[in-house]
Amino acid sequence: MTTVPARPPLARSSDRVIAGVCSGLAVHLGWPVKNVRVGMALATLAGGAGLVFYAWLWIMVPTADEAARRNARRPASPIAPAVSQAPAAAVAGTLSALPSAPPGPAPFGQPPLSQAPSNQASLGEAADGGAPQGADSAAPPGARKPGEPPWFRWQSMKYGKEILLGCGLLLVAGIMIAQLLGVDVPLGTLIPAAAVLGGASIAWMQLDETRRAGLVDKTKADQAGGWARLAAGLALVVAGVLVMVSGSGSWEQTWLALLASVAVLGGVVLVLLPWALKFWRDLETERAGRIRETERAEIAAHLHDSVLQTLALIQRRAGSEHDVVRLARAQERELRGWLFQDPGREAGQLSDRIKAVAAEVEDLLGNAVEVVSVGDAAMTEGHEAMVQASREAMLNASRHGGGAVSVYLEASDGQAEIFIKDRGPGFELADVPEDRLGVRESIIGRMKRHGGSAAILSTGDGTEVRLRLPAASTDNVEGKS
Amino acid sequence: MNVNQGAAAQAASSVRVVIVDDHAIFRSGLKADLDASIHVVGEAATVEQAIAVIAEQRPDVVLLDVHLPGGLGGGGREVIAGSVPLLGTTRFLALSVSDAAEDVVAVIRAGARGYVTKTISGAEITDAVFRIAGGDAVFSPRLAGFVLDAFGTAPADIADDELDKLSARELEVMRLIARGYSYKEVAKELFISIKTVETHVSAVLRKLQLSSRHELTKWAAERRLL
Repeated sequence: MTTVPARPPLARSSDRVIAGVCSGLAVHLGWPVKNVRVGMALATLAGGAGLVFYAWLWIMVPTADEAARRNARRPASPIAPAVSQAPAAAVAGTLSALPSAPPGPAPFGQPPLSQAPSNQASLGEAADGGAPQGADSAAPPGARKPGEPPWFRWQSMKYGKEILLGCGLLLVAGIMIAQLLGVDVPLGTLIPAAAVLGGASIAWMQLDETRRAGLVDKTKADQAGGWARLAAGLALVVAGVLVMVSGSGSWEQTWLALLASVAVLGGVVLVLLPWALKFWRDLETERAGRIRETERAEIAAHLHDSVLQTLALIQRRAGSEHDVVRLARAQERELRGWLFQDPGREAGQLSDRIKAVAAEVEDLLGNAVEVVSVGDAAMTEGHEAMVQASREAMLNASRHGGGAVSVYLEASDGQAEIFIKDRGPGFELADVPEDRLGVRESIIGRMKRHGGSAAILSTGDGTEVRLRLPAASTDNVEGKS
Repeated sequence: MNVNQGAAAQAASSVRVVIVDDHAIFRSGLKADLDASIHVVGEAATVEQAIAVIAEQRPDVVLLDVHLPGGLGGGGREVIAGSVPLLGTTRFLALSVSDAAEDVVAVIRAGARGYVTKTISGAEITDAVFRIAGGDAVFSPRLAGFVLDAFGTAPADIADDELDKLSARELEVMRLIARGYSYKEVAKELFISIKTVETHVSAVLRKLQLSSRHELTKWAAERRLL
């Protein structure tokens, strides 16, 4: 294999018949998939060379998903946007994934399983994909193939199974005819060999499956089914090897051979088990360490970009109390958002918008705006008007109240209510000049236009603006728009 | 809970307070902020220290940070759990920088009588300490918001278990507190006495601590409280 830089890396493609080796190779070499597949089939006929080559590539070449993950390990920027997204879950998920899975939260939306290949391509695959399998080693593998469809994902292929079945049956028929015609077909060798091949492919396919599942989501791996497949594959291989070794011998011989091989295997396991365990533990420790390291780097990057910068600014502005408070509030808000953000919550809801507006007012005027929200609602046009009206009310409260502003949002199925309260000297709505539109237009008028209502209560102890928007009227507004 | 220990007399005279917080800067700042009639008789920075100091000093009020090092990692909750025999005479006011519902509600359910944020002013915290010492509950707007979130905003039916829902009146009180009203303003708004407001708030606190309501546990479980 020569590696030309311009070429895409060799990876097994998800557009596959058996393991995606041919299509991966085709992409890598820049050849048509069909040619590669036919070539592989022809090479298989030449003493099974193609088959061996295929198996070797299957073992050595990573799947496309894995290759992508491997490349994604080096983050382009140290500041991960999704650090706060449940690091614990990510750690757990990665730990349970396969060794090759990189640490950290899964930022790259992996295409889950095979993306249904185009119909035409799949049909082509089926046509020449059947050939290498059938040509493998005469009848039995071909004959068994139809029993295997669960390991193939040909959702978009209409006649894949039928074509394979046909190929297999044709091969069986050919062998039978050959036998009838007197040709000596070494069935005693062919059947066990086919069993070994079939068992190995079943087990390997299961490995591919778990790799993919592990990369996407651990829970998607069908554990019980996976083990059953692995066991079936193993049993097939063992049976095939046994029959091959003991030839057409008696049961006794087979039994002895089985016993001997089990004893040998047991001895090997006994010797290697501590090594394997140690290796596994080292691997786990190393992976956990790497995950911690990544997390730490992300947190450090975040703190550097936010908190350290703000602290530097605060030191430079130490003389101005107003600025210091404003900076501290803004940084507090940002840090809170980063630390306590609930990843399960839907963004862009009414409460988010109100909090964003409150933050804006706080930055603008420097007075604290405390938001308490109960319940939430998806944004509608009416809600947007409500947000704008409450922004106006918050601005007034902060400007004229001259202290902290309390905002309370209560949203339920029936209605949304927002209360904006300050502790300023208060004012009389009637005293506000006609040309000042802030209260009359931006708050009361806006709410009325969208089917809601606004009330302003002002006493010497402060002012409270009450906005109310029934859910039904927002539907009407939506209908009109 | 043993509330009738001459609460008024206690509030009128000096109140003995222990401050539990792992930041020395915050402790000294808080001490300076507190009214002269409040005597800080002890300080602690870890869970173990706190339990020891509280057992020794038997203060009226403990100002308790929700997040504390030491112990089994339970923070303020663990301090309250370790001081259960004193809960009748010593009352806990939770202080936190955290807005997270799980922190706040966990410490309230452990037995704290109130919760305020650390950004609160000196006058406000003094008022809160006296209130707690007098046997009342102290609810910040945010805590009231959590309560409304947890219990739902629909009033209780007569058929409901009384611990499971807030009465219509309690809901009104909680809503007003969440809107930033002081107890006095709540009383004025609802045409009731301040004492009645305090009774309602204490009842809500009791429900929050004792309710095993399905929705509350679900709500708590979703926020990993249990």
